[in-house]
Amino acid sequence: MANDREVLREIWDGKLPICFQLAQEEIMEIQQPDPFYVMVPRLSYFPLVTDKMKRHFLRYISQENADNEMWLDYNGQPLKWHYPIGFLYDLFCGNDPQLPWTLTVHFTKFPETILLRCPNKDVVEAHYMSTVKEADVLKHRGQVMSTMQKKDHNQLWLGLQNDKFDQFWAINRRLMESHGDNEGFKHIPMRIYSDDGITCQRLICPKNNDGSRKTVHQLLSELYPDKAEVNLRTHGVLIPLDTPLQWLSEHMSYPDNFLHICLC
Amino acid sequence: MRPSSSQATGISPETFVYAARDFIELSDKYMDSWTIYQNDNEILSTHLKREEFISHRDQRGKVFLYRAEYVIFYNLSYGVPSFSFNVWDCTGKLLTLEQVRDISLMKTRKEDFFSVVTQQEHPVLYKPYFIIHPCHTAELLSMFRKTSKNLIITFLSLITPLIQLNLPLEYGLL
Repeated sequence: MANDREVLREIWDGKLPICFQLAQEEIMEIQQPDPFYVMVPRLSYFPLVTDKMKRHFLRYISQENADNEMWLDYNGQPLKWHYPIGFLYDLFCGNDPQLPWTLTVHFTKFPETILLRCPNKDVVEAHYMSTVKEADVLKHRGQVMSTMQKKDHNQLWLGLQNDKFDQFWAINRRLMESHGDNEGFKHIPMRIYSDDGITCQRLICPKNNDGSRKTVHQLLSELYPDKAEVNLRTHGVLIPLDTPLQWLSEHMSYPDNFLHICLC
Repeated sequence: MRPSSSQATGISPETFVYAARDFIELSDKYMDSWTIYQNDNEILSTHLKREEFISHRDQRGKVFLYRAEYVIFYNLSYGVPSFSFNVWDCTGKLLTLEQVRDISLMKTRKEDFFSVVTQQEHPVLYKPYFIIHPCHTAELLSMFRKTSKNLIITFLSLITPLIQLNLPLEYGLL
């Protein structure tokens, strides 16, 4: 169980200052638009926090593009909205922090070979719920999600969307319980990303063969036996190598119940 | 889904690869056009691919041509084969989910359609693909496990009611 409530709260309250700028080639007015500054939760998704920003820039672009799907880039790299904001920041700026995080806003040339379409927030919700479901398949063979009611699923999503910690954790705690005699999940939902764009997902047990708790260090020597110096970053911090994977999963997972971790 | 039914155990990546290789021999034999992609260092990236042109006649009788790509890969979390696809129009633009439905590539009611397929980042190819949800695959496949001669063919037979795929009838002789 996720017992270290202070850690959960600290991670939930993590925020990032963002500076949005409209791409130069999109500006159709003589007057340049002001950049748009906003503080956003690290655990949220861009489509959930960009409504106001979008309205701010709409009056500066060609009206024929006003109904196009908006997208964002950092330094020319399109940002995948289906990942949590804090994870994207760690991936692109983890080694070289820059605050506020300056992002460019586009209304044309949607990079359809890189980004998923996001016509509305229902798509974000569907993507979020299917990721939670996948995580539960890894942790409990999907039994927790399948025994929950629809209103519980809704409460998870609304808790995240409306930034309500208690509402979210009232349900999420059930997804963080261990089942049976086992102290631990069947597998740890975890994805490790390197900056070459490759994602590593494996079936990771929270225990070693002798029954002891597996640590980050032990996992790294299994996954990257040839690399001497490997570090992992999530929520803006380097993970201490002696952290047990089970604790990490219960406390440092994103609301989609996956650990999204950057290799550095 | 009932808790009991979700306990159907999946298959291992090795079983998937073995069935995929077996399937490719059959595909070649019956002049179907699937190809297999394998990487010796990464068993999880093994996948099967087929590309073809499809045509669709709209309500006014005008015929449009599309290019479709189908990819079968191993879904690690669910331990099952998964089906994914993309469709491009003749200008090279990717079709949206609405458009895929409009050209009757998939045959379901609108409400059902969006609950069985969504656009996702492909876990093997790392690009946007439409992926058919794997949540019932394990239990369905396990029902046929004793009688199935090839896991991929059994899996495809579960997909074909949803998506317009022309398969050689010879697969049924097995």
